[in-house]
Amino acid sequence: MQLKLSVAVIALAVAGTAAAQETVKIGVVQPLTGPVAYDGNIYTNTVRMLVDDMNAKGGVLGKKIELVVEDGACNPAQSVNAAEKLVTRDKVVALLGAFCSTSTAAMMEVARKHKIPHITGISTAAQLTEQNNPYFFRAVATTPMLGAAFGGELPAAVKGKRFAFLVINDDWGRTMVSSYPKAIERAGGSIVGTEFFQSSELQFLSHITKLKATNPDAIILAANTQHAVALSKQIRELGVTAPLVGEGSWTSDSYIKLAGPAAEGVYGLVEYVYTIKNPINAAFVKMSRDKLKENPTKFAGAAHNGIHIMVDAIRRAGAADPEKIRAALTKTNYNGLVGNIRFNEKNQAYGQDVYLALVKNGVPEVVKVARIAKP
Amino acid sequence: MLDLAIFGQHLLNGVLIGCAYALIAIGLTMIFGVMNIANFAHGEFYMMGGFLAFYLISLLKVNYFLALPLAVLLVMVLALVIQQTVFKRLREAPMMTTTLVTIGLSILLEQVAHLLWGPQPQVIPNPFPTKPLSFFGIYTTPLYLFSMAVTAALILLGHVLIQRTRMGKAMRATFQNKEAAALVGVRIDRIYMYAFTFGAALAAAAGAVLGGFIPVEPTMGGVATLKAFVVVILGGMGSFVGAIVGGLLLGLAEGLGAGYFSTGWKDAIGFFAVILLLLFRPEGLFKRA
Repeated sequence: MQLKLSVAVIALAVAGTAAAQETVKIGVVQPLTGPVAYDGNIYTNTVRMLVDDMNAKGGVLGKKIELVVEDGACNPAQSVNAAEKLVTRDKVVALLGAFCSTSTAAMMEVARKHKIPHITGISTAAQLTEQNNPYFFRAVATTPMLGAAFGGELPAAVKGKRFAFLVINDDWGRTMVSSYPKAIERAGGSIVGTEFFQSSELQFLSHITKLKATNPDAIILAANTQHAVALSKQIRELGVTAPLVGEGSWTSDSYIKLAGPAAEGVYGLVEYVYTIKNPINAAFVKMSRDKLKENPTKFAGAAHNGIHIMVDAIRRAGAADPEKIRAALTKTNYNGLVGNIRFNEKNQAYGQDVYLALVKNGVPEVVKVARIAKP
Repeated sequence: MLDLAIFGQHLLNGVLIGCAYALIAIGLTMIFGVMNIANFAHGEFYMMGGFLAFYLISLLKVNYFLALPLAVLLVMVLALVIQQTVFKRLREAPMMTTTLVTIGLSILLEQVAHLLWGPQPQVIPNPFPTKPLSFFGIYTTPLYLFSMAVTAALILLGHVLIQRTRMGKAMRATFQNKEAAALVGVRIDRIYMYAFTFGAALAAAAGAVLGGFIPVEPTMGGVATLKAFVVVILGGMGSFVGAIVGGLLLGLAEGLGAGYFSTGWKDAIGFFAVILLLLFRPEGLFKRA
């Protein structure tokens, strides 16, 4: 019995190493449970779909790409454990992920320690790219960059001057409140109120009533799907008619469907929206509709950017070697879903387009496009 | 300057949320008072009520007004099964044991909801017009008014049940002294069963009614449990009237505190009150019934 067992173990181990030689392993840490699980699952399912497609077309470096997915639960400790497991046990050569900025901040130190290239496509807290971490790359505009690109456009877009913030109480929301006002004030607008909500809350009647007293022309929000649904419904239910401008999930199908009439006329400030017109996006939307039965959200867009930039770097590196991939990543010049992406000396992406989209009859229409300048 | 319409709005928000807190807390205090169980899975009954109502309405196309009681009934069946298979065996177990069991149960129910329904938040479709109603600048919707009416009616129903019926009398007797109640012929097992299923039903009703404007998702139970504990401690562990008054007080304190002090402190207000109360009046605002 014992002999049989050890033979089986050896056989498994051999099979394991054999598989490792045949594939290029990429580790993904996303929240599959917890408060942002919904969006984390979208990212993960999209990466899986895209990798299946890449593998069907021959993979990379003549090998198949193998994804190893772990749940980070938007929790820094769990995300670190997940990344450690991916690097030490699964021997991945590249990392994608962590959703929440706090988790990414923790995870990127694992990448630094083990010298594994790591891309986030979602975490926008500005300080992440200020850590002098050569292994960490951010393939998305930060909140200050979005604010700089669009803050000045808001007064004209919503035809109003008085703006109020209603944002999630984390580094994302706080960064928004500190980075948007400058551009808004330069364009003649003013900030009349600021309220923060906790991620555990789904009932915002007090916040809304308080902002209502300041009589804003528009409310700027930072929220992902579950908060966005509750916020927009409750805002309208308390009789506030001011337009809403949101960073987060404000243009996704699930938000628009769940919020119903409350989603009409909402502006989304987004890094990606499925109605943009280019051939890469057309193919991506078609694939998502066929395979995942939904239009891609900005998290799906982040997945598309992240996996393509990483695989592009692996291809240019010519080997599944973390150090070579990292070097290739710094020379990224990727033409993709949202235009051209390069990394600056701090490994922050720039050059891509960002969008102001207006929800009309349940469809987010792009009303303004801006390009992220080199920071 | 105090804007009256805004003040009225904060007040109305407070009453609406307070009614919901009270409804959830009544069940918790009942289970605690009768069975001596601190039910950390109570919020999960609230969540289950919401999800079941959502699925009955949107998937099985059950009429809204039929689906709400049906969802509550299903949660009662679930609670009955849990009571008969788990807590009946733990009747004489120390509180630490039952508390740990309820914590396990809460994780189990949350994960089951995750597996069954996924992490996506859902809004229960309802037949009410979405256009808000305005009275002197105070806004509300037909759904908010309906929620308030239902929660208030259920609170009243619970009160009548406890104070006026034979079963309520037997429950109160069990509250006061289990052994003495058993001696005069109260069937303790049956009273436990009533308390647990009825307590779960009230939480489920809150979830089903509020799910029209507060999205339902698997993790929503945790916060609800904590808030309900705040209310129960405020009102006095095991006090029925205390849970009602405590719920309304917490709702109003949060509404007005958030409105005129800071929304950032909203969740802290209740817990701060609990710490003060435990320091200076540990028996709660009301003694056990």
